[in-house]
Amino acid sequence: MKRVAGDAPAEVRGDAKVRVEGVSKYMLQHGQPFAVLQDVNLDAQAGEFVSLIGPSGCGKSTLLNIIAGLEQPSSGTLYLNGRRAEQRLGTVGYMQQKDLLLPWRNVLDNVILGLELRGMSRRLARARALALMEQFGLKGFETAYPDTLSGGMRQRAAFLRTVLPEQEVFLLDEPFGALDALNRARIHEWLLGLWETLHKTIVLVTHDVDEAIFLSDRMYVMTARPGRVQLVQVIDLPRPRRLEMVTTAPFVALKAQLLAALRQEPAAEPRDGKQ
Amino acid sequence: MAPRAAPYIGRLRRLIGSWVPAALIVLVLLGLWEGYVRLWAVPKWLLPAPSVIAMTLVVSRKLLLDHTLVTFVEVVVGFGLSLLCGVLLACGIAASRTLERALYPFVIASQMVPIIAIAPLLLIWVGYGLTPKVIVVALTAFFPIVVNMVDGLQSVDPDVVNLLRTMGASRWQIFVKVQVPTSLPFLFSGLRVAMAVSVIGAIIGEWMGSSQGLGYLMIRSKPQFLTERVFAAIVVLSVMGVALFVLVGVIEQLAIPWRHNAPRQRSL
Repeated sequence: MKRVAGDAPAEVRGDAKVRVEGVSKYMLQHGQPFAVLQDVNLDAQAGEFVSLIGPSGCGKSTLLNIIAGLEQPSSGTLYLNGRRAEQRLGTVGYMQQKDLLLPWRNVLDNVILGLELRGMSRRLARARALALMEQFGLKGFETAYPDTLSGGMRQRAAFLRTVLPEQEVFLLDEPFGALDALNRARIHEWLLGLWETLHKTIVLVTHDVDEAIFLSDRMYVMTARPGRVQLVQVIDLPRPRRLEMVTTAPFVALKAQLLAALRQEPAAEPRDGKQ
Repeated sequence: MAPRAAPYIGRLRRLIGSWVPAALIVLVLLGLWEGYVRLWAVPKWLLPAPSVIAMTLVVSRKLLLDHTLVTFVEVVVGFGLSLLCGVLLACGIAASRTLERALYPFVIASQMVPIIAIAPLLLIWVGYGLTPKVIVVALTAFFPIVVNMVDGLQSVDPDVVNLLRTMGASRWQIFVKVQVPTSLPFLFSGLRVAMAVSVIGAIIGEWMGSSQGLGYLMIRSKPQFLTERVFAAIVVLSVMGVALFVLVGVIEQLAIPWRHNAPRQRSL
């Protein structure tokens, strides 16, 4: 712990869009406390694309849940837009691996859900969504029910639903995990194109090194339980990124380096859960 | 819409295909019944032939219609009452642990007490007429509605609930926009069962004491050895029950279009 107990966290700190400071999360399992996250520090600047990578069970999703406000950290502080944020629900866009489209709503009414919950009239929200249908490859499918769509289209619809409320920050939890390689490569390029026009901050959780390098400005490599930040790697590949780049020397060198970091991660320490 | 005609013909053919076997079985059974009665000259008061029952349906149509309307009203009003109470009760039970603990035992207990035992009491308390029948119908029908609706309201995907929370949704918004639509297919399963038992409930209610309705007509016709009229009443009752059951199914298709419009692949 960097901070001494009793030292109250500051109300305002820095200008990062997202700032996670000394966050730990403990949970109870069979009556025994164990650490899911330990002293995690992370920040994402305005317009930055940040990835979180690590083995399964390293608490990546828990960290996103904490940033989104679904869970509170056991200790540590969260800043959004440089301000301490206790109540964060509804302030960042969160997209999970499952598309979670509502089967009783057609595509158009699914994507306006966020706007509708904020009290916007359905008519206005639909008009806004219709303007973006083409860019998201959903034109012509406005009145289709989700069950009739392909996996890629469902993901794009879920993404449009995340984007429409125009939050500053998007959290993406393995959103492409369920797609096959070809669709993934396509959606990566498409996502980057979109991100470059939106100028939003993205925090992406993934377990795919290629995906993380290809998309990000910076990468946080995490260790297995308890989740800690092991390495922060700046990805200084030029933008815009092209699919061909994945076979170039700088890309391959970065990948080798990151894979090594992921592999040499220390075995779970015996003092686990005793704190 | 000429090019669209082909699928409709196909659909019609499938519809006929699905009805023909059932219709054939019914016709064969009716034929055997008719033949048996005629060959052995079974007296009418013991077992009337289908042709005699059909005649009664035509000759006594006015009488049957009058009594059918009474039973119909009992069923519909009782069913409506059970729907209203059942849905409200289910919402309460699903919304609050405390309410669940407080109310569920009574909901279950209400099904353990035989309706036959309650019906005579109802006669004493609220007299003859429509009210006791409606209460009996509602008592039999509300249980499947409550149980299914509660299951439906509680079967929401917690990830979807969390998604809405990250969008800043209130508890009420989650209830209206996720829980209620999720529960609809469950509710309709309950409604179909409820509709079937509603008809039985109405007849039981009438048997306990009444001066009109199909159940009353059966009770009155039996000692008069008008067995063919008892059968005619049963036929009308069955038709009414099936029609109401089908109606619930139709409303379900309209209310849950996403469940029925998903294209299913069929080989050509």
